[in-house]
This record gives sequence, structure tokens and C-alpha cells, in this order.
Amino acid sequence: MALPSAVSNTGGSDMHRRKPGLLAWLILLPLVAWLLLFVVAPTVMLIVVSFAERDALGRIVYEFNLQNYARAFDWVWLKVMLLSIWYALLTTILCMALGYPVAYFIGRAPERWRTTLLLLVMVPFWTSFLIRTYAWITILSKDGLLNALLVGSGILTEPLALLYTPFAIVLGLVYNFLPFMILPIYTSVEKLDNALIEAAYDLGAGPVRAFSQVIIPLTRPGIAAGAMLVFIPSIAMFAITTLMGGGSNPTIGEVIFKQFTSGRNQPFGAALGTLLLVIFLLALWLTNRQREERN
Amino acid sequence: MKTKTTKTILSAAAAAALAFTATAQAAEKLNIYCWSEYIPQDVIDDFAKETGIKVSVENYASNEEMLAKLGAGGGSFDIIQPSEYVVEALVKEKLLRPLDKKAIPNLKNIGPKFLNMPFDPGNKYSVPFMAGTVGIVVNTELVKEDIKSFSDVFKPANKGKIVVLDDAREIVSWALLSKGIPVNDVSDKNLEKAKGVLSDWIPLIKVYDSDSPKTALLNGDVAIGVVWCGEGAILLNENKKFRWVIPAEGTHLFIDSLAIPKTAKNFANAEKFMNYILQPEVSKKISEAFPYLNPNKEAVKLLTEEQRNNPASFPSKKDLGKMETFKDIGERGSVIEEIVTSLKVE
Amino acid sequence: MVFAFLYLPIALLVVFSFNSSKLNIRWEGFSTKWYEALLTNKVLITAFENSLLVALFTTLLSTLLGTIGAWMLHRYRFPYQRALALLIFIPMVMPEVLMGVSLLVLFVQFLNLPLGFTTLVISHTTFCFPFVLVGVQARLQGLDPFLEEAAMDLGATPLKAFWKVILPYLMPAIVSGALMSFTLSLDEYIVSVFTTGAQSQTLPLKVYGMAKVGLNPQLNALSAIFIAATVVVAIISHTLARRKTP
Repeated sequence: MALPSAVSNTGGSDMHRRKPGLLAWLILLPLVAWLLLFVVAPTVMLIVVSFAERDALGRIVYEFNLQNYARAFDWVWLKVMLLSIWYALLTTILCMALGYPVAYFIGRAPERWRTTLLLLVMVPFWTSFLIRTYAWITILSKDGLLNALLVGSGILTEPLALLYTPFAIVLGLVYNFLPFMILPIYTSVEKLDNALIEAAYDLGAGPVRAFSQVIIPLTRPGIAAGAMLVFIPSIAMFAITTLMGGGSNPTIGEVIFKQFTSGRNQPFGAALGTLLLVIFLLALWLTNRQREERN
Repeated sequence: MKTKTTKTILSAAAAAALAFTATAQAAEKLNIYCWSEYIPQDVIDDFAKETGIKVSVENYASNEEMLAKLGAGGGSFDIIQPSEYVVEALVKEKLLRPLDKKAIPNLKNIGPKFLNMPFDPGNKYSVPFMAGTVGIVVNTELVKEDIKSFSDVFKPANKGKIVVLDDAREIVSWALLSKGIPVNDVSDKNLEKAKGVLSDWIPLIKVYDSDSPKTALLNGDVAIGVVWCGEGAILLNENKKFRWVIPAEGTHLFIDSLAIPKTAKNFANAEKFMNYILQPEVSKKISEAFPYLNPNKEAVKLLTEEQRNNPASFPSKKDLGKMETFKDIGERGSVIEEIVTSLKVE
Repeated sequence: MVFAFLYLPIALLVVFSFNSSKLNIRWEGFSTKWYEALLTNKVLITAFENSLLVALFTTLLSTLLGTIGAWMLHRYRFPYQRALALLIFIPMVMPEVLMGVSLLVLFVQFLNLPLGFTTLVISHTTFCFPFVLVGVQARLQGLDPFLEEAAMDLGATPLKAFWKVILPYLMPAIVSGALMSFTLSLDEYIVSVFTTGAQSQTLPLKVYGMAKVGLNPQLNALSAIFIAATVVVAIISHTLARRKTP
């Protein structure tokens, strides 16, 4: 996993950081207020609910115990969580491999082209997610376009089962998250100093070495940010995985959603959600500490 | 002062007008909270035009979304569209407003089979909107065996060829039925039995889809489906190779209803809307858009013979006798979800 | 190649918008009837307008919050800064249904806000602004700290230095963040279900559940028009910009 930039930008520039004055506090205030009101407050509510009970209609009854957590620490849910993380990881790696060249190309394009190209990356996603996914279903299904093409051209004799497989799940995730990898990498590539790359060449580095030893390290913040923006949201994503994967491999987002809705068990769903949050924030905090120790 | 007088005069006039005819005032409103794509837009538009009531519509995609929002006190709705077991739960929790039957004379158009059901005796709180069943669709080009029951569907030979509803309660109910247990008898002992059956069944299933199981069937990715009858009716109309089967073990009969939440402000308008929708001509329009089992016997008479003969929309009397409605099982839903999830990940 | 991958489903969608069959599965003949039907479909068009409006306001707010937040966290050292930075990730990890329901309870029971446009924009901004913030922070890493100082040495106030030096430097990240927010907001379903009212029904709310009767091909038509319009606008502004900078 790439390192989260938001918690780790405490590098060498530390000495230039200032103690905030009153004005700085005032400017930061909206952000802090927003976080407290719309992030911290709901999270606290979630945690409170995760210790509560519920009535037959699914309404919350405020009697507290650890029952939900006793139930949540079960191999079933852990397995679901691991599977979700695995898909998210695959998605992140594939998005990186596919997205980096595109981002590099856009970042190195003539300046007046850049915004237009960025827009072109984003526009396909201004359609409804369901329409896009059903389009993919039409492409991948047994009687679908891809199979028709493969069988028709004689490459295959039998249509392949592409849809409703883990392949389809990852394809769906990669497709929908690719822009969130391309955009942050682009912003890092865009500021690359041409002189540095040329210097590498002048010092006798081949294109491969120039790329791996100069360009990649310089664009690392963008790669890290892209990895965050793809990896984190794709853990809890489930609409794509259900539609394209056929639903036989439930993901954590789906399980929580179902406990919340048809299970009518908000407290239990909340407990699973809290667990996910805790695992995640812990991992983030640990990576961050490790990195600081190294510095 | 002046506006107050005008208001008084106006409302007096309005009251007088109301006494003679059912013409509505300009400021009348109705907030509908319903399934998306279940009440055709032109039905709503016609109602608004005819009565002058300003209608706004909010949609949900599952009973539980609606319950969650209602439970948290969100929104002010005048009419909701719950399924039978949700009506039961809402009545139990005293969250519905009793209907004024005098305002809904068209209730007489509903067939006796769908009135006075166990979830709402005497229809004190709800009016049936559409009904339907769960059944089996078979692609006869790909499956040669004669499939008659759930046990015929879930055979090792059909592994990887099956699509089912993505609904844990439904799936468990089929397993219960195959053991001869009534669908609402979800004691721990019975669930344990169902789990035994499902541990053989679940590995055979390729796709879970509640929204559009017809897609996988039409695309040839699967050959057998256990789906809502509305899906079945569309498939039967699309291609003759599909056959509709009511499982020999029996199946679930669902009744989606209209009801008024206790907090509704414009309840009189909600009753007007119910009465409007129960007119045979209006109900026929809904049936044409959504080929479910229409409980409105007068509307069914207006349908074409072909529509009435679609076995997925209108099951035989004998089959109807085998069907059960779901009762509210409250907190058991969570356990049922867990059973199905655990079998899926095994 | 990657652009082909991105546009493959979109091409299919455009083709199907001219299909005469209602089910999006087989080609059955050319027709423009869905476009005609779309023009008179008030519900769909209103929902689409609502979606655009919500997405625009969300983008504006999240870009502001995200950019200013990233800069302040970079520039100054606040107490509890690390905790603050962790909090920003919560909206990204939290499953949508949990976020939707807790925000609903917050709005209705604690803040007494009527559900509608405002609550919708607030909840969308909450999960969109971290995307901007993370992107801008990535760009800030490796920013030459002397850049700002040099500007101030030349007599610029901190505000002016931010405006004239830092902001232009951050622009690519800000544009990216804005694009991401807009996209996320436009397509959000679950959070919207719980946090909106009847007056602000967005397009995804109308689209979900449609699959039951077959996705309405008018949606294909709507998407096709929207994409075409965006591309045309992009090309026009592109050529205009080119004329200005010969």
C-alpha cells in the first residue's frame, strides 16, 4: 500500500511550518466545523448505535451491551472483509498500471490540451452508473458482443463465461475507479521539471532508468493519493460487485447494507461498520507512525 | 386584515364547493412515497389534472429503505406503498392511520381473494395495489428436463445455470417449503433444517439479482430463474422458449398495498388518490405498464385475452390456493441474512 | 487504448439510444422515439436538472473546503493536526448506507433541517471534499517552501502570495478535485435516498428500481445528449483558448 499523503506530509518542510495565528484559526474554522458536525457527529452516533438494541421494526432501542460485537467477531464477516480488501487491492494495482501512462501522457501534453483531455477522461462517468454497468453486462454476457466477436472471428469455438466471475467484478471496479487514479497522478506529472528529466538523460540514464529513478519518485505523492482515492472507496463499494459478479461473493458493503435494510438490524450493521472504520484507521495510523520513525 | 377576510370567504366557498362536488382547491397537496417505476407517471399526471391537487413523488427501491426513512422521522408522506408483511409490522407499531372507507367506494372493485387478508383484517389500514408471486422460469431450449418444483431446480445437474432473487428471506422460504414447513414458521429448529437444504442449493446458484433477473436469462448466461412474476411475464412476452412454472411445493404471494402513515397531513387527498387508482380504467393502465397480478377484478375484465392468459401474471385458481403471504418476522430477518451470507462465503 | 476502454460502454449506450426495442439487449432497428419521448418526460428532465444543480453546488463547496483545508494543514501546525487529518478519511471509508442514515438522523432529530436541497448538498459535500483535499495535498508535497517567502519578500501579503503564487501552482489539482466531486455527486444514490426530500429528487433516485421493468431507453438518450453537449462545449472552449494564445 502506498503511504497516505494526508497524514504523512511532515517531512523536511517542517521548519517552514508556522504556529497558527488567530487569522489562520479563523480560516481553518469552516473545515473544523464541517468535520465536527457532519463527520464526527455521525460517526459518534454510529458508534453509539453499534452498542444498542433494536425493536421488531428495526428502530433503535437504547439499551447498551456488547452483543453486536460478540456477533461481529465471526469468521464469516472477517472472510467477507478480507475478500473486499483483496478486490480493492487488485483494483488499485490495475488502476495504477492502466492509469499511470494516461496521466503521464496528459501531464506532458501541450498545456492547452490538458484540461480538455482531463475532461474527456471524466465525461463517461457523467452517465448513470446503472446504465454503464448494464452496458458492460451486454458486452460481457454469453450472447454478448465480446463473445460474438471472439467466436465469430474463429478465435474461440465456445463462448467464454466472462460475466458473473471475479474477473467481471474487478473489471467493473477498475472501470469505475480509473479516473480517481488518473487525476491525482496527473497533477504530480504536470509539475515535473523537464530539466530534471533531461539531466537524467545527460548523465547517461536510459529511458527505463530515467523513468524508474527520476520520474516515479518525483510523482510518488500523486501515486499515493491516487491509491488512497481508489483503494479506500472500493472496499465498501458493492453495487458493481453484485451486478457484475452475480452476488455469490458478497462484499462488506453489501453485507452491511443488507443487515441495515432487509435484516432490519441497524445496530449490528453499525457494529460491522465501526469495525471496518477501526481496522482502517488503525492501519492508517500505524503506517504513518512507522514512516515517521524512519524519518 | 383584508387578506384574512378574503381567506375566510375563500375557505367558506371552498367548503361549499366541496359539499357538492369533489373539486379541489389550488393549494391542495399530496406527497407520495412509492416504489420507483410502479405507478405510471401518466396516472399521477391525470390524477393531478383531474383533481387540481399538486402531487409530489418520492421514490424508494425497497421496503426497508422506506422503513428506515420513516423510522428516522424523515419526510412528510401522505401515502406509502408497503408490501404485506410491512403493513403488518406498521399496524402492529401503530404507525398507520385508519382509512375512511366511505371515501374509497371503489374498494368494491378488488377481488374478495385479496381483501380481509391476515396482515390487515377488514382492510382497516391498507388497500391492495398489485399482487404477485414468485415462480420458476425455464429456458426450454437449454433445459430439457421437466421442471416442476424447487427441488427440480436445485439439482447438481443445473449447477451454474441458475439465477435467483437476491433476497435472503425468499431463498430461505423456498428451502422451508421443500421440507414442507410453512414459510412463516422461522423458529431456530426450522431455520437449521433450511440451512441444511441451502448448503446444497447455494453452491449451485450462479447469479443473485432482485432488480432484473431477466437480464441474465435473456443473455443466455443462465437457463433457469426463480424470479418475480412480473419478470416472468416480460420474458414470456419476449420469447416463446421461456416457460413459467408455479413450484409444486407452493410459493410466496406478495401484495403491495397503499397505506397512509399516521403523520400524514393530507390524508383526505391520499384517500382520494386510493379511490382514483381503484377505478377499473386506471388500474388497467397500471397493469399494462407492469404485468403483475392485478387484484382489481373489474380492471382484469378490461384486459385483452392475451394479457389475461399470461400464466406469470395470472396464475390458476388451484395454484393461487397453494400460495402464502409473508408475515412480519421482525428481528429474525437479521439471522436469515446471516445464514445466507455464511453459506455464500463458504 | 485506455480511452477506448473508457468509451466502450458509452459507445454502446449511444447505439442503444437509437434502438427501437425497449430492452437494452438486442438491436431491433433504428428509431429516434426515445429522444422524442425524452423531450416530453418532465419527471426525468427535472430530476436531471436537480442532479446538475446539486452537483454544481457540491463541487463549489468541496473545492473550497478541500483546497483551503489542504493549504492550512500544510502551512501551519495546528494542535491535534494528526487527528484532524485522520478524520478526513472517515467519509471515504464509511459505507454509504451508514453515512446516509446517520446524516438523516442528524438532520431530522438534532439539527431540525427539512430534508431537501440543502441537506443533499451538505451530505454530498461531506463525502466529496476529502477527494479534493487529498489531491491538493499531494500537489503541495514538494512545493518549494521558499516560493511563498520569496513572494512575501517582494512585498506581497500572505493573502496576496496565496492568491498570486500558490493558487496558480495548485490549479491542476483543484481542477482535478472539482471534476472528481462533480462526478461523485452526480451519480450518488444511497446517501441521497436518505437525505433528500420530494422537491429535490435527483436522477439516480429515478433510475434505481427502473431495472425491474427494463432501464428506460430514454436514459440512454439523455446520457447521449449530455455527453455530446459536454464534448462540444469542451471543444469550443478549447479552440477559443487556442485562439487567445497563438
